[in-house]
Amino acid sequence: MNSDFSQPHRVGNLRGGVALVKATWASWVQYRSFFFILAFGWMIQPLIYLLVWTTAAGGKTIGGISRGEFVAYYLVLILVNQITYSQANWTVGDLVRYGQMNRLLIRPLSPFYENLSSEMAGKVVYMIFDLPIVLILALIMRPEMHASLRDLLAFIPALLLAWALRFFWGYWLALLAFWATRADALLALQDSLVFLLAGQVAPVGLLPGLLRTAAEILPFRYMVGFPVEVLTGQVETTGLIMGFAVQAVWLALALTLTALLWRLGLRRYSAVGG
Amino acid sequence: MIEAQITVQGLSKTYRVPVRTEGLRASLKSLVKRAYDNVHAVQNVSFSIRSGEIVGLIGPNGAGKTTTLKMLTGLLHPTGGQARVAGFIPWQRKNAYLQRISMVMGNKSQMIWDIPPMDSFRVLGEIYSVPSSLFKQTLEELIELLDMQELLTKPVRNLSMGERMKCELVAGLLYRPVVMFLDEPTLGLDVSMQLRLRRFLAEYNRKSGVTILLTSHYMADVMALCPRVILIHQGKLLYDGELGSLAQKMAPFKLVRITLGAENGSSSRDVSLPPGVEITNRENNLLTLRVGRAEAPAVTAQLLQTLPVADLTVEDPPIEAVIDQVYTEGGV
Amino acid sequence: MHYVRLIGLFARTSFQEEAAYRANFILNLMYSLLNLGTGVLGVAVLFNQIQTLNGWDFNGTLALLGVYLTAGALRNLVFGPSLDALAGMDGEVWSGRLDFTLIRPVDTQFWASFRKWRLFSLFDMALGLGVLGVATARIGAGLAPEHWLAFLIALMAGGAILYAVLLAFTALVFWGPGVLFTWVFDGVFQMARYPLGLYPGWLRLVLTWVIPVGIITTVPAGALTGVTSAAMLAGMIALAVVLIIASSALFRFGLSHYKSASS
Repeated sequence: MNSDFSQPHRVGNLRGGVALVKATWASWVQYRSFFFILAFGWMIQPLIYLLVWTTAAGGKTIGGISRGEFVAYYLVLILVNQITYSQANWTVGDLVRYGQMNRLLIRPLSPFYENLSSEMAGKVVYMIFDLPIVLILALIMRPEMHASLRDLLAFIPALLLAWALRFFWGYWLALLAFWATRADALLALQDSLVFLLAGQVAPVGLLPGLLRTAAEILPFRYMVGFPVEVLTGQVETTGLIMGFAVQAVWLALALTLTALLWRLGLRRYSAVGG
Repeated sequence: MIEAQITVQGLSKTYRVPVRTEGLRASLKSLVKRAYDNVHAVQNVSFSIRSGEIVGLIGPNGAGKTTTLKMLTGLLHPTGGQARVAGFIPWQRKNAYLQRISMVMGNKSQMIWDIPPMDSFRVLGEIYSVPSSLFKQTLEELIELLDMQELLTKPVRNLSMGERMKCELVAGLLYRPVVMFLDEPTLGLDVSMQLRLRRFLAEYNRKSGVTILLTSHYMADVMALCPRVILIHQGKLLYDGELGSLAQKMAPFKLVRITLGAENGSSSRDVSLPPGVEITNRENNLLTLRVGRAEAPAVTAQLLQTLPVADLTVEDPPIEAVIDQVYTEGGV
Repeated sequence: MHYVRLIGLFARTSFQEEAAYRANFILNLMYSLLNLGTGVLGVAVLFNQIQTLNGWDFNGTLALLGVYLTAGALRNLVFGPSLDALAGMDGEVWSGRLDFTLIRPVDTQFWASFRKWRLFSLFDMALGLGVLGVATARIGAGLAPEHWLAFLIALMAGGAILYAVLLAFTALVFWGPGVLFTWVFDGVFQMARYPLGLYPGWLRLVLTWVIPVGIITTVPAGALTGVTSAAMLAGMIALAVVLIIASSALFRFGLSHYKSASS
């Protein structure tokens, strides 16, 4: 068996990819309670801050955001956070750590598809849980949305870019598993940064001085907070342009890092032996 | 003196499992509504084992062996029937009962993973309230019998499968139980380790009189250790007795293997055989014949006279084939 | 006596397991500090925008965070890891090793409650108490000994309630072995990091009477600021006793159900 893993893999095997997604979906549905509980866990922090900020806003506004707008912000955040959440570390990282890469590299299907199919299957299962709850919360808490047409149009690309950014950012971090068996510390740090700077603790606009600047430069806001702010009408036109630009730059960096680490990692993997 | 006997009468266990079907639509449906099925894992099983016996519990996968074992160790409540082990009703789970039995499984470990086995043994010693002098003595005995002195200080995760199995046996015996239940103890072990463990079990049984109920898929285990087997298939007890008699009953024939000499080139083609003798295999000049047990001596003599025999052996049919026949025919 | 010796052995073996991986120590240190940092920053960000919230100010909320961190550390010291070893991911129920637990001549609830320790949580407890100390210093009012006494009693009662609720969630695993109920508890427990007064009325009721995690943090914090009355304290102790009895019963009931229903 020729172990020259540096050959490019067949990305074009669409039929195989679709079948894989279907099969992954079926297996995910079996374990739906597990994934519902995960979705529940991810929902808690945004919910807590939704409650805290809406209580704080009361009848007035905070930083220009009213009670109803906070409700809207956090409900959208729950959904956007779910859509963009990356599981690359579990899937890719584990594959490398437990030496299962061989299995994937032998198939005529890019390993990339495996991640993609589990991402999609997972998100559908999570959304089955999230959507009804968000709807019920919306009925109870009465959100206020002030989205213009421009906001609605800008939301979709912002969301897609956010998903891509978070996915590839998570991917390259997971690929570090080729060198260090446990990148747990980095991931814990990443989680904390996302929590603080991506718009969960507070909409980025409400963060105090230094934190706010950091949030506007670092990629984390652009993984979650930015699309949410766009949809809830918190971003002006100049802000939109700047936002997209920063998103694009970070995405380009993430893609580069992913491609680079993949190539380097495979070389090391086949040299060391899987 | 507590009698370490096992008596089982009419033991039954039925439980419900959810039904899972394949396909996209079915999985969507199952999101909303679940269907159930009744499984009769054990049906009306009765047997009785004397103190000090080693008995093999055999049967195909899913036959009900493990379920029976779990009922006898008190882990499951039966849905019908009775049992007494060492004078206790197992599922009442009295501490006095639990201190007298032991369960060792080939596919699950009771050792703590990251620390040396000695530390797990110490915890178990305290759990079973073993007086410290007796603990030391028993441990020394077992370690010597199993030849595992150097293993005691290595973390369990660094041990090989065979070494881990030795630890499991020590864990199961350090409080001197009177009945030991073994579930696939030699699973995945290499041949020489299997031999060593069998020898250990036989010797320990001889020395201490511990009653052993053993399940295994390796016929070699059963043949070497168990003078008596209980065969369970689809939850029912099909056979209880000596393994040899089972073979005789199920497969009342012998296999005669003949290597023909190269005297006449075409000899292997025109072989005339006595009636009732079947050729089961023919490869070049190697013939395998099936002969009824009673007729075997006569037939063998006749073959030696009529055929140019270079080599001849008379064998019992392989026990695996016999067992397989029982499994597939579902009866004895 | 036998049970006391057993607890000692359990703690000692757990420490050996913890110490087996050196890298984990650094990792744990990181997690603890990150946890502390994000918690404090979260409160700071909130009170950067407002002065008080339903009667709670920055210092009071910080004090509550300190109690939350301490309670969390208490949970992670022994009850959390032990119950998780039973009901959590890769736990005994999940991996089928519950058989070994059930066959031991030891009370299963005792085993499930004390078997596994995480001694590093003592550091977390110190951090939590540190935050609490800073917050009370900032509040400034000289704290009378009876406040400290009330605080300690409330904290212990809170610990008992925490144990009882966690035990109840764990017991649910006997009916649904594949479901990670303790993770559900994790989510609900997170809500206790903010004062109950911040939540809408209906949620306050839920977190007081249905899943009483709110009491675990709010009452001890209130004891330090003198808000908690003797009646509340007595009520909390009574609740703790009732909950422990009830969840222990649930645990045993679940265990016997598991034994009849499984294969």
